[in-house]
Amino acid sequence: MQDKTKILTYFTYGLLLLSLSLLINDVRDFNTDQFKDFVSWSRDANKNESWLPGKNAIQWSYYAVSAALFFWRAYLIYAFSIFLTIIKEIEAGNYFSDTVSKSFKKIGTIFIYYTINVFVLKLIMALIGSYSFHLLTEFKEELLYLVPAGFAFYLLAELFERVKKLKDENDLTI
Amino acid sequence: MPITINLDTVLQQRGMKSKELAEQIGITQANLSILRSGKAKAVRFSTLELICEALNCQPGEILEYISE
Repeated sequence: MQDKTKILTYFTYGLLLLSLSLLINDVRDFNTDQFKDFVSWSRDANKNESWLPGKNAIQWSYYAVSAALFFWRAYLIYAFSIFLTIIKEIEAGNYFSDTVSKSFKKIGTIFIYYTINVFVLKLIMALIGSYSFHLLTEFKEELLYLVPAGFAFYLLAELFERVKKLKDENDLTI
Repeated sequence: MPITINLDTVLQQRGMKSKELAEQIGITQANLSILRSGKAKAVRFSTLELICEALNCQPGEILEYISE
């Protein structure tokens, strides 16, 4: 058991580092390549132009949506870090503690919230014309896996809660 | 819970200490304390049998139903 949890810990750390580096790389690319366009556009932009439904609103919403997408990706990485809490509890022998079931529930919630929010944000990006949205491709990329995974984690949380109740009852049977 | 445990009374009647009983029936003092305090969720027939054997009593003397 100890060996397995150690392997899982290293794997989770690897996954966290990889996803963090990917996110930082994307943020850097976004700043260097796209923010320059935004700065030059803001210099030339007609300040008297009305906000809605003007070009200003579209440009600003593009950057707001991009920032929101980065936030949700960071939040998804945080969900992976919760695995470390679960592994630590299992290592300590607290298989059915409240922390384990709550962590599973938290991961499930983040997965589902991430999917819904990213779906909506990408749809907004498509509406403002800076992203080509294909429903099937989106489903293939992440939506298809994360929603069932989220519900699976909810189910796991429920199972662990029930097992904890049974364990408590068994501990109090003399 | 309407089921009460009269183990302390029976122990007193028999002049036996809870430590002795725990040793005789082979359960820990902590578990016997859970049983005595009424915190236990259930009692196994095997445990009840051992207690009755050690205290030479009937299950009815240890367990009592008091309606709420």
